[in-house]
Amino acid sequence: MTKNLLFALLTVTSSAALAQAAASPHATSTPPPAESAPAPSTESTPTQADAPAAPSTDDRLTTAEGKLTALEEQYAETQGIVSALSKLKLSGYIQARYMYQEPDFDEADPTVKLSDGFSRFTVRRGRLKATYGGDTGQFLLQIEAIPSGVQLRDAEATLYIPGSGQNLSITLGQMKLPFGYEGPHSSSERELPERSRVVGAFLPGERDRGLKIAGKYRMLRAMAGVFDGNGINNTGFVGVDNDKEKDVVGRLGFDLQWIAGGVSGWTGTTLGKRNGPDPDLYRKAYKRNRIGADVQLYLDLLPLGGTAIKAEYIAGKTYQRNNVEQLGVPASGWWALLVQNIGVSNALALRYDSFDFENGLSATESNGTLGPNNAIGTLGLAAIHYFGETVKLTAAYELQTTATVENGTAEDPSDNLFTVQLQARF
Amino acid sequence: MKKLLALFLAVILPALPGAAQAGTVTIKGSDTMVILGQRWAEEFMKKNPGTKLQVTGGGSGTGISALINGTTDICMSSRPIKDAETEKLRTRFNTTGTEIAVAKDGVTFYVSEKNPLNSLTMDQLKGIYLGDITNWKDVGGPDAPIVVYSRENSSGTYVFVKDNLLGGEDYVASAQTLPGTAAVVNAVSKEKNDIGYGGAAYAKGIKELKIKVGSEEVAPSADNIKSGKYPLSRDLYFYLRNKPSGEAKAFIDFVLSADGQQIVTKVGYFPVK
Repeated sequence: MTKNLLFALLTVTSSAALAQAAASPHATSTPPPAESAPAPSTESTPTQADAPAAPSTDDRLTTAEGKLTALEEQYAETQGIVSALSKLKLSGYIQARYMYQEPDFDEADPTVKLSDGFSRFTVRRGRLKATYGGDTGQFLLQIEAIPSGVQLRDAEATLYIPGSGQNLSITLGQMKLPFGYEGPHSSSERELPERSRVVGAFLPGERDRGLKIAGKYRMLRAMAGVFDGNGINNTGFVGVDNDKEKDVVGRLGFDLQWIAGGVSGWTGTTLGKRNGPDPDLYRKAYKRNRIGADVQLYLDLLPLGGTAIKAEYIAGKTYQRNNVEQLGVPASGWWALLVQNIGVSNALALRYDSFDFENGLSATESNGTLGPNNAIGTLGLAAIHYFGETVKLTAAYELQTTATVENGTAEDPSDNLFTVQLQARF
Repeated sequence: MKKLLALFLAVILPALPGAAQAGTVTIKGSDTMVILGQRWAEEFMKKNPGTKLQVTGGGSGTGISALINGTTDICMSSRPIKDAETEKLRTRFNTTGTEIAVAKDGVTFYVSEKNPLNSLTMDQLKGIYLGDITNWKDVGGPDAPIVVYSRENSSGTYVFVKDNLLGGEDYVASAQTLPGTAAVVNAVSKEKNDIGYGGAAYAKGIKELKIKVGSEEVAPSADNIKSGKYPLSRDLYFYLRNKPSGEAKAFIDFVLSADGQQIVTKVGYFPVK
């Protein structure tokens, strides 16, 4: 490359010099004036003796080498800038939706409307993420910008442990909790529009502030950390801890490519006053624990495309409902998902998720209305079409079934949900 | 409820057709393999006039990206797929992909025919490519600066050398990157102080360096590469999203057949079987 550049420069320099020489009144083709000739005015026309000599080949070579050195220095400087910029990655995605939920009428008296349902457009997610990955660590900042406001999602400073080949890292900041599969999994890659109810309850917002250590060795994957424990949406405690105790959260997993999975744990406490029939007079410390297990299988069974089967189970105490902690309430749930790719551009997904808001409590009803803690099962079906690598269209239909009281009067509400989502990412 | 379900079906049904692709099979990726891929395709299309194969290069990384993005049917790669790339394939296509070794190669270091050296150790090559050794006299050659040529980072050969020779460390910053092994060979053939690397099939008009292993000098020969004795032996791969089927399967069957493997030898690589 250097030689080619040098050759090109020499050619250009030589051509320019020759052109200049040809155009010059002192070119060698012009005979010099005779010594006896009267000397013209020195002001108007310079004499041959005053004119600069044409540069020699050595001079031209020296000039070209100088220019080449300058170009090499400029190239090195540009390469340094480009190399640094190539480590900065900007990405993001928009999930715009239309959602429809049918009105609910009393089955015994269809003229009585129990709920209105809805028909609305939303921008569910609008993410912008910047990542700068160096040899020793990583910067990551992600914000959410949607009609209801702008929120910091991730702000992580990661240090790769020297000598670990980036397989061992420490992260400090606000980050995804190292628990389970669906929680840390990106919403832009999920087949159904929302996470399952159990994950939404036990990992609200999926993120928290804390310190995490992550490592991998061959097929093993391990992540663990200490966190404030409140997440990022806990009403009254957004961005702050409500106690000085830290929660410990972690996952130990494996990845054999076609099958992966892990077990997760979370132990900690939270401070709060419980309302209800036996209210607390003062703030009390409540256990905030979870255990979980997850598995993912990727199979190449059909000529249509890949098949994935995934499932996860979580049980624990103290979860969030509408961003309010349900102090000390034991709950559990699970989900299972089947995804079948159809060719390069389509996929079908079927997911069932079940969540019991209060373990050990039978379904209840009061005044013809089902109890708020009755278990809910949701069967979701989604069809996905990819328009290239940027745009994804999802149509999802979710049938929700709320547990009813045997021989009771309250009905399972008609709250099935239809969602069309267009996602664009870069 | 029925209206809602009808609406749902109205949206999803138009999206379902188009699962199967017929007609053209696209093959993309490794520049090391592009000539080999073209020879295979030409021969296959002669025997199967109804099938159209499109072979393009761009580098192994580019080919794997195309496989992940769904813009190629078969990816040619001169390095194994990385875990992060398999993860992307799983996320988008719910498959871990199918790897098929189709030929063998030995990454060969080229110098000018005027260069008096015939062999270097792995450590010496590593020193040159990390920038610790900058003069030929330090490895037993003449007193002249070493001009280092490399490939672009989308190249599988670049990644293979980085992982298997440099221990994952970065190339010396002054290494000049060229797009394709042919360009490296062209540059090295013209200047006695240059060194470059690439697939064994491209070693024309230059000198192939042997690798010193103890007291033995191991050449990138057919026997040494097939036996794995040559330290930088490697497989050349095809990657697909799923198990091969249809025209892609017919093509791969041809590639692995005696006729297909004979083309491997003709091009300058080594049969996988």
